Amino acid sequence: MADNEDSVFDPSLLKKKKKKKTTAFDMDAAMAEGSPADASDNTDKENTEPASNVDNMDMDDLESFGKKKKKKKKAFNLEELDSALPTDTTADEPSEPLQEDMVDDSFDYDMDFSKTKKKKKKKKDLDDLVAEDENEKAAEKENAMDGMNDNESDIQSWGGSDRDYTYDELLKRVFEIMHDKNPEMVAGKKQKFVMRPPQVVRIGTKKTSFANFTEICKTLHRQPKHLLDFLLAELGTSGSVDGNSQLIIKGRFQQKQIENVLRRYIKEYVTCHTCRSPDTILQKDTRLFFLQCETCGSRCSVASIKSGFQAVTGKRAAIRAKTT
Amino acid sequence: MSIQNLNTFDPFADAIKGADDDVQDGLVHIRIQQRNGRKTLTTVQGLSSEYDLKKIVRACKKEFACNGTVIEHPEYGEVLQLQGDQRENICQWLTKSGLAKPDQLKVHGF
Repeated sequence: MADNEDSVFDPSLLKKKKKKKTTAFDMDAAMAEGSPADASDNTDKENTEPASNVDNMDMDDLESFGKKKKKKKKAFNLEELDSALPTDTTADEPSEPLQEDMVDDSFDYDMDFSKTKKKKKKKKDLDDLVAEDENEKAAEKENAMDGMNDNESDIQSWGGSDRDYTYDELLKRVFEIMHDKNPEMVAGKKQKFVMRPPQVVRIGTKKTSFANFTEICKTLHRQPKHLLDFLLAELGTSGSVDGNSQLIIKGRFQQKQIENVLRRYIKEYVTCHTCRSPDTILQKDTRLFFLQCETCGSRCSVASIKSGFQAVTGKRAAIRAKTT
Repeated sequence: MSIQNLNTFDPFADAIKGADDDVQDGLVHIRIQQRNGRKTLTTVQGLSSEYDLKKIVRACKKEFACNGTVIEHPEYGEVLQLQGDQRENICQWLTKSGLAKPDQLKVHGF
């Protein structure tokens, strides 16, 4: 999903994506080494990053900084163009912020894995080659622009002109004022749900290992069994947790694919369906699972995990031999 | 001039109309299964039994240039099975042909 969006919004990324594919495995390996190595790695790679940012690098990396920023920037340019031409009709204007909103939504919904980080790095590297000082400036700007600032510049873009405000702009403004007045409000402010990416390594040719499975279960506050059931039902395979608490799945899977399934799991079984807060408890009640939200107090039933129809993929002769 | 209030109005007209153009009820589960190597299978479970699945599979095979079959399952009824990863194809095709609405499709797998 994320990839599709990328290709839509940022055609220039295509090239990098190809490049990323080749290096993706090394990155994962680096990640697997542990966070200190990770941090140092980052500093090596991005010398242009200001030093103040290094200490909280780990957290930052998991957020979708680079990607989001890129999009935001693009949006700015468009809007600046619009403000430059005040006679421009609102034909494309309403669609534009809406699009942006949608992007925001989807990004907050699915938590951000390090995939986004990789892309960012790649961009940095390429930029290095082109213009280093410019990049530095951009990085600083990015840091400064964190959070609400982009909204402010949005307002400025239509503040001066005397054209009519679109509904989306006004809506955005109202929400922004609400955030400013009470920052601890949950429903409006979209909370980032930061978690470590799944470490997926292939074992041999037929099996895949999901190394930090229990860790992810802990961060999601879910029973490993429940997540295991979901993963296996969704992937349509079999698997088990081995001695060093890693999950072994039959079949070839890549990190991206596991991420997708995890996203779906979080959407269905972790985030509250009403307020989308991840602060929920999953409890079983008369054979049904209920999701109780700690933030808004809502309680709703969630879909049961069913693997559904499973086609015969193995050797039929072997199955017949087993049953008789 | 006619008085509007005296017109006969059937309050259930919508309900009746809604019922007969909506044969498909319940979710259509579209799953993918890995086979040996890079090969995959796509299964489509939950299509309404009022549809002629054999005709559907015949059309799908032609459309996606893959092989496929209908499997009788005691619990899940008739299940479509297509060779290869046809998840996107089948989603588009089902919505385009009006057999199922997009919100009735549930795609599983990675």
